[in-house]
Amino acid sequence: MDTSIITDRFDTWTDDALAWINDNGEWLFEFIRMLLEGTYDGILWLLQLPPFYIIAIIAALLGWRLINLASGILAAIALIFCAVMGLWAETMSTLALVATATILALVVGIPVGIVAGFVPSFNRVLEPVLDLIQTLPPYIYLLPAIALLGYGPATALIATFIVAMPPAIRLTSLGIRMTPREFIELGQASGLTSWQMFTKIRLPFAIPSIMAGINQSLMMAFGMVVIAGIVGSGGLGETIYGAVRTLDIATSINAAIAIVILTMVLDRLTQSAARRAKAGGR
Amino acid sequence: MKTAMNDSNEVLIDCQNVWKIFGARAPAAIQAVADRGLSKKQILQDFNCVVGVSDASLHVRRGEIFCIMGLSGSGKSTLIRLLNRLIEPSLGTITVKGKDVARLNAAQLRDMRARNIGMVFQSVALLPNRTVLENAAFGLEVRGVAKDERHKTARAALEKVGLADWTARYPNELSGGMQQRVGLARALAADPEIILMDEPFSALDPLIRRQLQDEFRQLTKSLGKSAVFITHDLEEAIRIGDRIAIMKDGVIVQVGTAEEIVTKPADDYVSDFVAGISRIHLVKAHSVMQPVAKFRASHPQHDVEALLRTSPDADIGELIDLTMQSNRDAVAVVENGTVIGVVTTRALLRGVAGTPEHEPAAA
Ligand SMILES: Nc1ncnc2c1ncn2[C@@H]1O[C@H](COP(=O)(O)OP(=O)(O)OP(=O)(O)O)[C@@H](O)[C@H]1O
Ligand SMILES: [Mg+2]
Repeated sequence: MDTSIITDRFDTWTDDALAWINDNGEWLFEFIRMLLEGTYDGILWLLQLPPFYIIAIIAALLGWRLINLASGILAAIALIFCAVMGLWAETMSTLALVATATILALVVGIPVGIVAGFVPSFNRVLEPVLDLIQTLPPYIYLLPAIALLGYGPATALIATFIVAMPPAIRLTSLGIRMTPREFIELGQASGLTSWQMFTKIRLPFAIPSIMAGINQSLMMAFGMVVIAGIVGSGGLGETIYGAVRTLDIATSINAAIAIVILTMVLDRLTQSAARRAKAGGR
Repeated sequence: MKTAMNDSNEVLIDCQNVWKIFGARAPAAIQAVADRGLSKKQILQDFNCVVGVSDASLHVRRGEIFCIMGLSGSGKSTLIRLLNRLIEPSLGTITVKGKDVARLNAAQLRDMRARNIGMVFQSVALLPNRTVLENAAFGLEVRGVAKDERHKTARAALEKVGLADWTARYPNELSGGMQQRVGLARALAADPEIILMDEPFSALDPLIRRQLQDEFRQLTKSLGKSAVFITHDLEEAIRIGDRIAIMKDGVIVQVGTAEEIVTKPADDYVSDFVAGISRIHLVKAHSVMQPVAKFRASHPQHDVEALLRTSPDADIGELIDLTMQSNRDAVAVVENGTVIGVVTTRALLRGVAGTPEHEPAAA
């Protein structure tokens, strides 16, 4: 009895608050939504411009340059398989979603990580926040997003962005802090300015760690693909979500296979790029 | 030959009563040192602070190679890092080229490090993402020298250290000795007047090491640079240094030429270091000869004028050769045409063994 009054109170209070935010911040959320969906639409348009085999060839070339010929061919075959299953459009919109969210996460995460790497007190405040973001179940981020941005890719993007950002921040900050002491000393003894110390010493040493952060951000973003299907992300996530609801198991398995293929191809490509950065940055 | 006095007597680096104390309560410890003159042990007990360098005074002249020698933990690295202010002194003044280093502002300090004082590290610290050439050009790049020019200078420096064919390689493709040379070339390319070297050769095998020691000395001298060179190996210090400072527990216990340190060690610590050193090329005629009158008294049968002659700077090796050539067991030491002393076989043996002089028991 008593408790239901409290929850009712809380619910009306939340609704009022959201309504207030919606009324007063509508222009802001509309702007954010347009920005997110604009970026997403742009990337999607680009990915859908060439036919599927061109994308497969690009993947093959990248795989060949970054790993080896066999991996390149394998990547191309795997992608062509997605098209054969009739899921090419969905695969590309999932790729666009993941790419958009990851790019946003990096655009915010890398600079924040750099600042955190230089300012220990900021890093101390940031760490528990990042811990919290990574501990909470990712569904949580859909709630405020859907309340403020509505059903559609923008909400999926925001939630994916939030989940993808922590690794980029963490590993950038780590990379900046991990500059070997002897090289800091070299910089000081050579009379470097702070800016030179950053660009010529700290950043080059941080690149492998930052690259690892990019890879992890991307993987976190892929982890959100299916979850984001609930809020109308489009793409494979929504296909799976829809198929599961109608018990169309075959379609959902096909879509799941496509997700796995896409994830693995991008994981291998970015990981090799990261390893290359470590091997001497040539 | 090594001489303490060089073409110029201008003092480039001057350290006066410098202290460095590490620890949370360093300021209080410094106060206690200034007021009461506490010892290293007392400071560790009373303040839980480590004394890195204790009351060190030294000067380095233009064109001189000054070695700092001591066991691990004796404060060598701390002392050399005080010279270019990588570490702030707790007490005392350090003057480089007439300027008090502690008074320089950030920009002046950067400028001094970029132009006047180069440093070569034990760890070499070559940037792994740059080629050998780009590494050697690093100091000039920092100063904003245009690419063509700095690469030209760096190439010339690499040529000097014998790495002209390796410019396009990356550091991980080079051996340890070659990396050390790149480190040296990097310091030389920036053309500083003073080069600080913190145990640059200690990780190398003996052969390469000896070769680099000779190359370093010859290069430094031919370019007219001054250097402060740290080592924990007395033989290295003797090979390279014009003068040597010996450190123990942060204190400089003796400063002098190799010969002075070997023939007149200041205390047991220095004697222990000196014990294993070959004196044959260190000890000179002037420090083992005896006065002519004394020789005449003990060897009435010899005619001093008939002895083979040599200069006061001849080392024991040369004296042995001369003694072997003559049928007498003594060599006359001559300066400006007059005999100033005589080196007997006995004195030679004493010089080699390092035993102190005393009268022979009557035979
Ligand atoms: N940053 C520091 N904080 C605290 N103590 C230090 C610090 N740096 C050096 N010391 C102490 O100062 C003393 C001298 O150290 P230093 O590194 O100068 O010795 P070293 O002669 O260079 O030895 P090595 O031959 O091993 O390099 C040591 O007792 C060391 O523990
Ligand atoms: Mg040291």
